[in-house]
Amino acid sequence: MRAALSILKKDLRMEFRSKESILAMWIFSLLIFVIFNFTFEVSRLVMLEIAPGLLWVAFIFSGMFGLNHSFSVEKENGNLRSMALMPVEGGQIYLGKFLSVTFIMVFFEILIFPIFIIFYDLQLSVQMFMLIPVILAGTLGFTSLGTILSAVAVHTRNQQILLSLLLWPLVSPIVIWSVNLTGVVINGEITGSFYPLLIRVGAFDVIFFTLAYMLFDFILED
Amino acid sequence: MRSKTDKILLIVLLVSFLTSLYLIFAWAPQIKASNTAEQIAQKIFYYHVPSAWLGFLAFFIVFLASVAYLWKRDRRYELISVASAEIGVLFITLVLVTGPIWAKPVWGIWWTWDARLTSSLILWLIYVAFLMLRRYLPDGSKRANLSAVVGIIGFVDVPIVYYSIRWWETQHPKAVMASGEGSLDGDMFIAFMFALATFTLLYAYLLKKRYQLLVLEDAVNKQFKEMEIL
Repeated sequence: MRAALSILKKDLRMEFRSKESILAMWIFSLLIFVIFNFTFEVSRLVMLEIAPGLLWVAFIFSGMFGLNHSFSVEKENGNLRSMALMPVEGGQIYLGKFLSVTFIMVFFEILIFPIFIIFYDLQLSVQMFMLIPVILAGTLGFTSLGTILSAVAVHTRNQQILLSLLLWPLVSPIVIWSVNLTGVVINGEITGSFYPLLIRVGAFDVIFFTLAYMLFDFILED
Repeated sequence: MRSKTDKILLIVLLVSFLTSLYLIFAWAPQIKASNTAEQIAQKIFYYHVPSAWLGFLAFFIVFLASVAYLWKRDRRYELISVASAEIGVLFITLVLVTGPIWAKPVWGIWWTWDARLTSSLILWLIYVAFLMLRRYLPDGSKRANLSAVVGIIGFVDVPIVYYSIRWWETQHPKAVMASGEGSLDGDMFIAFMFALATFTLLYAYLLKKRYQLLVLEDAVNKQFKEMEIL
C-alpha cells in the first residue's frame, strides 16, 4: 500500500506543478460545450436531453488527458523498468497509477461541472447530490480499465490513438449506464430502477478493477 | 505443410458448402412475406447467424488461448489467439455486412442504432483494436503478454456490452431457435443447422491453416535472424 501511495503522491505533485496543462485541459472542456452548442443548434428541451451525454464527453476527454500522461512520463524517463523492479506486487503499481489518474479526472470533473450547470441552466436541487455517486461510479469504471490499457498502449509507437481505440469500446457499457443515470438525475424523478443500475455500475467497477489488478504483473514483466 | 487431414477437411468443406447452398435455396421453404425481395433477403439468415456464432466462438478461443499463454508461456497459444482473433473479426465483419443487406429491403434502412447492431459493432471494434495493438508492438514476449491481457479483458467485456445495451428496445428479430411463436419451420431448421455445422467446420479449417502459416512465418523470421548474425 505504501508503494501505491508514494506513486500517487509523486504523480499528483508532478501534474499540479505543470499548471499550464491543467488550465489548457479546463479550457478544452469548455470548448467542447461551445462546439457542441454550434454543431447541434437545438431547442432547450432537446439540449437538456443530450446534456448528460455532453457532460460525459467532457469528462472522458479530461480523463484521457490523465491516462495519456500516466505511463508515458514513466517511459520517457526510463522509469517503467525501475517500477517493474520494485519489490512489490505489480498490482500495487497499478493501484497507485489508478488512484492518481482517478484523482486527476475527479479534479477536472469538479472544474467542469460548474460550467456545465451555468451553460445548461440546470436547476440545483437536493436531487443533484445523487450525481456524486453516479459520476464517481462512472469515473472509477473508466479509470480502472483506462489505467491498465494505458500501461498496454504505452509500449506502442502510437500510444495516444491506440489507447482510445482500446479503451472506448471496452468502457462503452460503463459510459452508457453513466449517461443514463446522469440523465435520470438531471431531467427526471429518480425511479425504482435507478439504484439497481447504480449498484450494477459499481459492481462492474469492482470486476474491472480486480481483473486489472490481477493482470498487471504480466504487463510489467519483460 | 499440406497434410492429409487438411486435404480431407477441404473436400468435406467443399461438399458441405455446396449441400448447404442447395438446402438453403432449393430445399428450405420460402417464408411468407409481402414481396419477393423480403423472401430472398431472408435467405441471408442462414449465413448471418452462423457468422455471428462463429465470431463468438472465435473470441472465446482467443480468451482461452490468452489465459493458457499467460499460464504456460507457450508461443503456440499466442499464435492460436492471433489466428482466432483474425478469423473472429472476419466473421463479425460478415455479420455487419450481411445484416444491412437484409435490413434494407425488410426495414427500409441499412443501419439503425439498435441494441443488437450496436453491440455487434462494439464487439468488432474491440477485436480490431486487439489486432491493431499487435501490429504496433514489436514481436517478442512483451507483445505476447500485452495482447493476452487485452484478449482476456476484451472477452470479459463482451457479455457486459451486450447486457448494457439490452434495455434499448430492439428491432432485431428474436432468437428464432427458441420454441414458440416465430420459431423455425422443420425444414428451415435443418437447413440452418447444416449451415451452422458447415461454418463451424470452416472455422476449424481456417484456424488450422492460419496457425500453420504463423508457425511458418516464425520459422522464416528465425532463419533471417540467423543469417543476420552470420
